[in-house]
Amino acid sequence: MWWLKDVWVIDPSQTLSAPRHVLIKGGQVLEMFASMTEEEVLTIAQGESVETINGEGKFLFPGLIDVHTHLREPGQEEKEDILSGSRAAVRGGFTTILAMANTKPVIDNRALIEFVRMQGERAGYAHVLPIGTVTKGMQGGELVEMADMKAGGAAAFSDDGKNIQNAEVMRLALEYAKITGLPIISHCEDKDLAGEGQMRRGMVSARMGLKGIPASAESVIVARDLLLAEETGGKLHLAHISTTESVDLIRQAKARGVNITAEVNPHHLIFCDEEMGITDTALKVNPPLGSQKDRESLIEGLRDGTLDMIATDHAPHTMAEKSRPFAEAPFGIASLETALSAIWQHLVVPGRLSFERVIEAWSVSPAKRFGLPGGSLKPGAIADMVLFDPDFSEVIDSTQLVSKARNTPFLGKNLQGFPVMVWVEGQLVQKNRTVLGK
Amino acid sequence: MEGTIKSKILDADGIRRAITRIAHEIVEKNKGTDRLVLVGIRRRGVPLAERIRQYIEKLEGVQVPLGILDITLYRDDLSTIDIHPVVHETDIPVSIEGKSVILVDDVLYTGRTARAALDATMDLGRPARIQLAVLVDRGHRELPIRADYVGKNLPTSRREIVAVRLQEVDKEEDVLLLEHEEDTSK
Amino acid sequence: MKWQRKDVLAIEDMSVDEIRHILHTAKVMKEILMRPIKKLPTLKGKSVVNLFYEASTRTRTSFEMAGKVLGADTTSIAVAQSSVSKGESLYDTAKTIQAMRADLVIIRHSSSGSAKFLADILDAGVINAGDGQHAHPTQALLDIFTMEEQLGDMNGKKVVIVGDVLHSRVARSNAWCLQKLGVDVTFVGPPTLVPFEMEGLGVKLAHDLDSVLPGADVVMALRLQLERQKSGLFPSLREYSQLYGLTTERLKKTEKQSIILHPGPMNRNVEISDEVADSAQALIERQVTNGVAIRMALIYLLIGGSSNVVA
Repeated sequence: MWWLKDVWVIDPSQTLSAPRHVLIKGGQVLEMFASMTEEEVLTIAQGESVETINGEGKFLFPGLIDVHTHLREPGQEEKEDILSGSRAAVRGGFTTILAMANTKPVIDNRALIEFVRMQGERAGYAHVLPIGTVTKGMQGGELVEMADMKAGGAAAFSDDGKNIQNAEVMRLALEYAKITGLPIISHCEDKDLAGEGQMRRGMVSARMGLKGIPASAESVIVARDLLLAEETGGKLHLAHISTTESVDLIRQAKARGVNITAEVNPHHLIFCDEEMGITDTALKVNPPLGSQKDRESLIEGLRDGTLDMIATDHAPHTMAEKSRPFAEAPFGIASLETALSAIWQHLVVPGRLSFERVIEAWSVSPAKRFGLPGGSLKPGAIADMVLFDPDFSEVIDSTQLVSKARNTPFLGKNLQGFPVMVWVEGQLVQKNRTVLGK
Repeated sequence: MEGTIKSKILDADGIRRAITRIAHEIVEKNKGTDRLVLVGIRRRGVPLAERIRQYIEKLEGVQVPLGILDITLYRDDLSTIDIHPVVHETDIPVSIEGKSVILVDDVLYTGRTARAALDATMDLGRPARIQLAVLVDRGHRELPIRADYVGKNLPTSRREIVAVRLQEVDKEEDVLLLEHEEDTSK
Repeated sequence: MKWQRKDVLAIEDMSVDEIRHILHTAKVMKEILMRPIKKLPTLKGKSVVNLFYEASTRTRTSFEMAGKVLGADTTSIAVAQSSVSKGESLYDTAKTIQAMRADLVIIRHSSSGSAKFLADILDAGVINAGDGQHAHPTQALLDIFTMEEQLGDMNGKKVVIVGDVLHSRVARSNAWCLQKLGVDVTFVGPPTLVPFEMEGLGVKLAHDLDSVLPGADVVMALRLQLERQKSGLFPSLREYSQLYGLTTERLKKTEKQSIILHPGPMNRNVEISDEVADSAQALIERQVTNGVAIRMALIYLLIGGSSNVVA
């Protein structure tokens, strides 16, 4: 049994943000009290040994749930695999991660869904839930066997990495997915508008002489998919929203009552194109970093609930791939291990976002939308939890990262505020930034 | 100027007399001024060459052509110089083909500057002969080079510095012998 | 001034003093270039590697000649374009060149930022001979050198750059260089090739050539890449040439003895008429000569001074 003394609990699922004593037993949250004595704890323990943690000055919240990660297994294990990715997850404070389907081969049938799920269980760190493709071979044509894949453990469907260009296929997917109750996650990117673009089209791309991706490449598809969701009543989730126009479209659709949710990536909340240098491939990401105005719109959208979730879009790549001239390097940022700290330092500490809203968007909302365990510390809830020390500071050092990837813009930089203990189902899996062995 | 002054080798009059003598010798040795070209080596060789030209004009009533040579690009010690030397233009208004070129410099020391000047001159054409005029020869040659006209022979030690100061460049007119305060030569 | 740069990658990050120093040095180099004996011992024993990932005979030859006049040993590595994706990565090539102890590397590459990428890896100096659509600093320097040779100080004068500026590293580098020296710069071309974001370079944008010609001291035509038509950026060469081709008739609108520049190679009778290209106003061959002088100056400034190799 665990006794977390005097810890500041943030649990938006019960609108709680206050100091508490938390008791964990048998993989579940047992009880939470405003004050507690040792005798009381021992009485409740009934002879079981009690591990006591002094939580003063630290936060406890439900483990983060990331609905957008790329774990690269099967097929690209040189970048990441399910074991390394799920270890990176718990190091960064994530207790559940959804694995995108654009592996090699793509996850477009039940056998592969079960493979990913089993690999996650074998690894035994974060809960790893597979996302299946929407279309066979991610070709944007025929739909996959959604019901069968759900039976095998699929948590959602997405052709992420590629947009479904054919609007009729998207419409049919939103209709058919209703029999599963699972969301379709849309990677909103018009292929022709995006073209061979390398970064957001604007004055910065003009100066650098890099091909630009117009903001419309995203918002045109956002508009399309919102209209399709409205028409079909299908369950739509929009991945990695990055433009002002998209935020406005989503806000309007929500006002009309359309069944949609949307996510934003930490890097779009923290960086903008003006901060990029011509060799900063660590900041090369898709969708590309937008303008300062976009960044402000995204923060505003996250604050007012237009954007429901934060998701990392953890996209690991090898150093060799990123050590290339900008146009030749792949898109993506590996962020599981740094994302929460970066959000804390760049947005919470300066007062741009409340920590309560961050936990709601990164744990409560994903659990609700995707029907996942976790996202709450109510008595009886699964004990997926994070103890966060706002004073813990660390220089992001490539030898300390447990992900296989090093493609983070924070490499060599100091971040402050880190998860220092992480539990999955009441089992301690990370302590003082070290992922515990199995 | 780095170092302490030990003695004044030439004053303004001394310099004037030395240059007058060199001018005479040049005319004497070349049997007049026919096909003569005076070329001053940047930087203090340039005003010295100009003065020699004026004396020759007084003597012979002839204006000898005068050129300026920048030898920066011909130096063999570029890689040992800390601060990047600024290159200047070489400006020789006449062809030196078949001419008697008189190179003029302030101090002859190791001979490396003279060697660079010889190379630079040859790249401009094929003169009949090249002669060297210097105000001071302080010895310590590192190359088999000698001057044809010398204003003042001055035995020195390597620790010493010969500073030629000319009105046109330095707003002073003298030749000084200085001593390094501490030996930084290697 | 004290020259402290290891590399010349873009005009954007250069000071006016540095630009002036390069132009001054190039003037000396041009005098040497005009001599019957074009050979100096200055860079004896220095090795210059030309690493060209894009075919460009004229720029490569210009750099080779510049290096050779200064007495350096120049080696050219022409890398087939296809090897960018298939063969050795630029990173590994850089490491190989490093191991060969080259003193200076000249790089031409189709990716924007590749020159800086290389410079960040190498101890040797790097000159950017054109990286993607980003920068072509030696072209901009030879252009300003040519303009000033003909027109004197360019401060306050007006330069119009016509054509496909969106895809042009020449236009970008010229915009930086000219504006630093106080020149008024206008980009003109169809909106598809002169889009709004080019304002990010601080220049004026226009789509009607005739309206911006009055008062222009210099008109620079850019090479039109013919494959842009296939991408739908302009409908036909015929219409392009009608709207933006430099003709004698049209150039009268400058109302002064303007000079015409072109970075070459020209598409005659597309962006520039035969008559203009061969007129006395066009200083296109002079640009080529001055290109060698500018490159000599840069090579000298980068490796002529203190040695990179510690004895």
